[in-house]
Amino acid sequence: MAKPRKTRGESLVLRYAVLGTWALICLLPILWFLSIGFRPRTEVITPEPIYFPTFSLDAWHLLVSDWPIAQYLRNSIIAVAGSVVIDLILAIPAAYALSRYEFKGREDIGFYILSTRMMAPAIVAVPIFFLFKTVGLLDSVWALMLIYAAINLSLVTWIIRSYMLDIPKELEDAARTDGASDLRILWEIIIPACLPGIITAAVIAAIFAINEFLFTLLIASTANAYTMSVALANFTGGSDGIIYNAIALVSFIAFVPILILVILIQKHLSRGLTMGAVKG
Amino acid sequence: MRTDAPSVPAEGVAQATPNRRKAPPRRRSPALRKAFPYLLVAPAVIYLLAITLYPGIFAIYQSLFVVRFVNWTWTGLGNYQAILQDREFWAALGNTAIIGGISLTLQTCIALALAYFAYRDPFIRGWRILYLMPMLFMPSAVAFLWKLAFNDGRVISDMLIGLGLVEANVDWLGNVWLARLTLIVADVWQWTPFLFIIFVAALQGQDQEIEEAARLDGASWPSIFWNISLPMMRPVIVVAVTLRGIDITTMFTNVFVMTQGSPGGATETMSYFIYRQGFRMFNFGYASAASVLMLIMTIIIAQTVVKRAFHSGKK
Repeated sequence: MAKPRKTRGESLVLRYAVLGTWALICLLPILWFLSIGFRPRTEVITPEPIYFPTFSLDAWHLLVSDWPIAQYLRNSIIAVAGSVVIDLILAIPAAYALSRYEFKGREDIGFYILSTRMMAPAIVAVPIFFLFKTVGLLDSVWALMLIYAAINLSLVTWIIRSYMLDIPKELEDAARTDGASDLRILWEIIIPACLPGIITAAVIAAIFAINEFLFTLLIASTANAYTMSVALANFTGGSDGIIYNAIALVSFIAFVPILILVILIQKHLSRGLTMGAVKG
Repeated sequence: MRTDAPSVPAEGVAQATPNRRKAPPRRRSPALRKAFPYLLVAPAVIYLLAITLYPGIFAIYQSLFVVRFVNWTWTGLGNYQAILQDREFWAALGNTAIIGGISLTLQTCIALALAYFAYRDPFIRGWRILYLMPMLFMPSAVAFLWKLAFNDGRVISDMLIGLGLVEANVDWLGNVWLARLTLIVADVWQWTPFLFIIFVAALQGQDQEIEEAARLDGASWPSIFWNISLPMMRPVIVVAVTLRGIDITTMFTNVFVMTQGSPGGATETMSYFIYRQGFRMFNFGYASAASVLMLIMTIIIAQTVVKRAFHSGKK
């Protein structure tokens, strides 16, 4: 690849060849999967793959008639929204302390919070399962809410902390000389000033919560607690096998709102995904 | 820090609010002043302890028993002895390293190349949205997408036949490396955007003038990339790859949906091993012992790699 010098034109061709190829790699499977969602079941698994199927709303009718899709959606929304609220309530004060106060053990506490992000879900899966079994929270949306909140708490705290670190100290000092208490400063100055960070953290936490699979699989066992993510894996019709067109359709139902949320926080995405380590 | 750590996460939530409200607004005593930051972090820390420390202790305790439904029989370190001689355990560890290593290397290289070509492009916003899309699907949905494409729908085989690369349908689950390849493809497809987004931000944030100067001196783009951009991006690459690496080593969903560990356990990851021992074979003591071993590995990695990564990336 190491040709000595390139004219501008040459490298543009290479650039668009590379970028275009990856764009196709991203898009083609998505478009094909979309076509799966809108084709009759008979055209999903065939001896020869069908690339241009007949249009059909079979999957939609099946979802509505055979599966409590609204219930799955509702479970997802309650568990995810609830977990994000818990995260914000816990993370904002923690991030405030970690970013604006000097105290002994601050680094260690911060790192402990960060390190929980590295815990593989499988490590705690068995104990968590027993814990929720003991307290009678198996197959409950509330259990999912608590778990999702725990999974994302480190991420939310670190993202918000990173944004709080950026707020100039003078802003706070001015308010303090006016006699404002620490909590009022947090509420009236710090939170509004790092609102983009809070929103970014909330969106990213919501996405990870929507995606969560292992814990949901273990905790949910009926439509009481099935979320979209795990309900998918149960779209099977006994001897008919996996009902792919319904799966595809549900994937897109979840995809659209996520896409909108992500476009809203686009500028902050890289910072959020690295838990504040990269400012983009 | 408060000492009355509850074992139930719900209590952690309940305590969060009173803590914050209780602090009197003005003229606090010096003691309270000193305790104030601790009170602020306490709810979050207690919550996380409940969800990490408690399960950790539970797993250690349970790992000392042979658990058969409600019967717990003391076995001491028996589970550990058995696990360290269990070929499936070592295979799972190896598979996690192989699948994760290849997948992580591939997505890092692809993301770097794409980011380098894209970050100065006038259509960068468009590319970013486009490339992001795979990441925005639920992982379980993506796993089904590739399961259908590779196995059930035979689309990939059909395309390879069309290109003249193979002659008949490929049995993706019939071969160790092909089965691993399907998992790698699914992971690379979905998660390369994660690294891409971060790398683009890093490239956009760096000092353009150094690069421009090198270009005026007649340096070729590969050499600019290799000698200037890459070293400047190093801290960011370390953080991003560390985060991605953590997620890859916990890979579960794709295995669960696509391969279930077949053929012959060649695609069984650590997470899937624990799941299978615990929730398929109901060997909870054994699964807990595996969890504890995985936890020890996690702590070692956290204390070394991750701590360093985030310290270098902080500024």
